[in-house]
Amino acid sequence: MKKEKKPNESLHHITFSLNGKRVSCSIKASTLLLDLIRDTFELKGTKPGCYEGECGACTVLINDAPVNSCLFLAVNANGKNITTIEGLLQHDGSLHPVQESLVASGAVQCGFCSSGMAMTIKALTHQHESVPHLTGAIKKALPSREEIKKYLEGNLCRCTGYVKIIDAAEKLFALDIEKNEKGI
Amino acid sequence: MEFNIVNPKTKSELLRAIRKETTFRFGAGCTDLLMELKKKPVENLVVINLSFVVDSRFTGLKKLAKSFWLGAMTTAHTMVMNEQIKNDFNVLYESAHNLASTQIRQVATMGGNLCTASPSGDIACALMALDASCHLLNDAGVNSVVNIHDFFLGVRKTILKKNEVLYGLTIPTNKKQTKTVYSKFIKIGTRRSMECSVVSLAYHIQVNEEGVIIGAGIAIGASAPTVRSALSASGFLIGKNIHLITEKEKEELACKIVSYAEPITDLRATAWYRKEVLLNISKSIFE
Repeated sequence: MKKEKKPNESLHHITFSLNGKRVSCSIKASTLLLDLIRDTFELKGTKPGCYEGECGACTVLINDAPVNSCLFLAVNANGKNITTIEGLLQHDGSLHPVQESLVASGAVQCGFCSSGMAMTIKALTHQHESVPHLTGAIKKALPSREEIKKYLEGNLCRCTGYVKIIDAAEKLFALDIEKNEKGI
Repeated sequence: MEFNIVNPKTKSELLRAIRKETTFRFGAGCTDLLMELKKKPVENLVVINLSFVVDSRFTGLKKLAKSFWLGAMTTAHTMVMNEQIKNDFNVLYESAHNLASTQIRQVATMGGNLCTASPSGDIACALMALDASCHLLNDAGVNSVVNIHDFFLGVRKTILKKNEVLYGLTIPTNKKQTKTVYSKFIKIGTRRSMECSVVSLAYHIQVNEEGVIIGAGIAIGASAPTVRSALSASGFLIGKNIHLITEKEKEELACKIVSYAEPITDLRATAWYRKEVLLNISKSIFE
């Protein structure tokens, strides 16, 4: 009698917040967060690049921190807040300031790295918000161009040469100063 | 890539999982593990996932009376953000800050960097210069302590037995008489980010008010089958006055450090290049 092959992987039930919406699903133990986002939830803005954690195209935010979703087990998303590029969409349907800054700076060419870049820059804005001496010493708290470069070290771009992407991030923070100075 | 996973939430669940499973690997940040399993799948593998274990000793940082506790699940990002690490153990801060990329640092753990036992482990190299002690826990719940100098046995081999897990480590606090600390992690790679070290040098040298060296830890990475401590070089420095060190003594120190190197030639660099670079960066310690 032919022996029936036992399924190797059991299913795990997870619940997490995806772009502010509570979602649940059953997944295999080895499912990667990247595949879950793209295949199960059909959010194709997160790009599969190298699948080795090298290129950063698949960057998403987990509890506001940037993570390579290709090297992150979906099981570990349980109970977490996940934000993808689709989650940056504003309530009125317009682009997020991070995206607007990338567009205005001419930092998008083929666009494959753009969503990962946008997510990493978004994470940097969270860090900048959490700096305790932000109020009253805004300029000191803002990241320097070198710090922006360092923060974006895990995102590769083969088109732009990075200058315009770094410009976009820098302009975004400069805009923040302007708003704060005007009290907006 | 196929495996099953167990998600212990407490220390006792973790120990039970270690006792129960036969073919298992620990999963912490999983950045190395997933790459390894993609290349070399293991049949009937169970990953004991450490991400959900709630235990402040396992996941946290704490200042103790004579040492600093670092839980095995501390991420590189947490180390970078910790003020005490930045102020007292700069070598550790620099090694964590220059590890891989922003994204990897959010999930990669101290325990993972140590237990992977890569010859080029950056955090492991810094911790060796800091003379850390590894705290192990076996499946019966018994603790044991082993000095980091005895932790690594070879490429991807550690002293850990199958029924043991690295729970955390302690770094001795700087000596009371210490006035200045020369603490640095020098990483040579073919590019600045996302790169394994071609050669690395970690040092943590404590100097008193008169300029006398009262503590010294020096370690090398990517230069031998394991990260290595250059003990005779450290001993050579003790008692010397930092303001009176001669060029000849600097040369002698660099030669002592290089004597611990047994590099190989691989796709990143030749053995000759590694030794030359190590010699040159070793001369720069007090510059």
